[in-house]
Amino acid sequence: MSKPPSTEAAYRPLSPHLQVWKFHITMFTSILHRATGIASVVGAVMVAAWLLAIGLTASGHCPEAYTLFLSFAASPFGLFVWFGLTLAGFIHLTGGLRHLIWDMGLGFRISSANALAWWSLLGGIALTLAFWAVLFATGKVVL
Amino acid sequence: MVDSYLKQRSAKDWKKSEKHGAGEWLAERWTSVALFFLTLWAAWSAFGLANQGYEAALAFVKVPLNAGLLAATFVITMWHTYMGLNANVLDYFPNSRALRLLNLLFCLAVLAVALGGIYLAFKA
Repeated sequence: MSKPPSTEAAYRPLSPHLQVWKFHITMFTSILHRATGIASVVGAVMVAAWLLAIGLTASGHCPEAYTLFLSFAASPFGLFVWFGLTLAGFIHLTGGLRHLIWDMGLGFRISSANALAWWSLLGGIALTLAFWAVLFATGKVVL
Repeated sequence: MVDSYLKQRSAKDWKKSEKHGAGEWLAERWTSVALFFLTLWAAWSAFGLANQGYEAALAFVKVPLNAGLLAATFVITMWHTYMGLNANVLDYFPNSRALRLLNLLFCLAVLAVALGGIYLAFKA
């Protein structure tokens, strides 16, 4: 502990500090949960833009809105962004499930906590790969 | 030093936290549970709509159940996002009212864009 915060700053438990924690899987997935949560905000913006593009095209306010959206969303770079967003989203989804399990007071033994962290991380990656594998296999996405 | 500081803070904060804080904790949890199901539905729907073109997307949004679920997903998502981003602001910039306000405005703006899009598509 270096020094207490200034009196104006509320004293509260902080999240793991990147520089001072020795690597372990629960610390890594904790940081990853925050990072994937922030990354998912971009996903929310993209889906909101998709809905606005549909609305503007359908209402006739801007008939080329959907084409404009697709020129980004269906481009190779757009697909790369969607892949990243699904990865972040699925890891945040399984990570959220892990946190809900902990919130119920379960899985606090170190071995259980580590196992949960690994399963949620690998589960999120597996869901992402499966999602895209089926998209490619059914010909819905073609490079 | 830290201990006495903690006691001093706690004594001041206890009265406040008696009635405030549990609601936010619960809101974080129930939005998580709701979003678990809503985002899986959204991923399933996105899979169905991928590469199907504009008409399929418009037809999807025009189904009342889909429009309602999309609106609910966005209301809950932006609420969850607001709480999540605020946790970041409070960790790294604990004294910044401006960032918390900016966060609120950002989340409301994304929500307005999404609901506006659903409304225009649904009405058209």
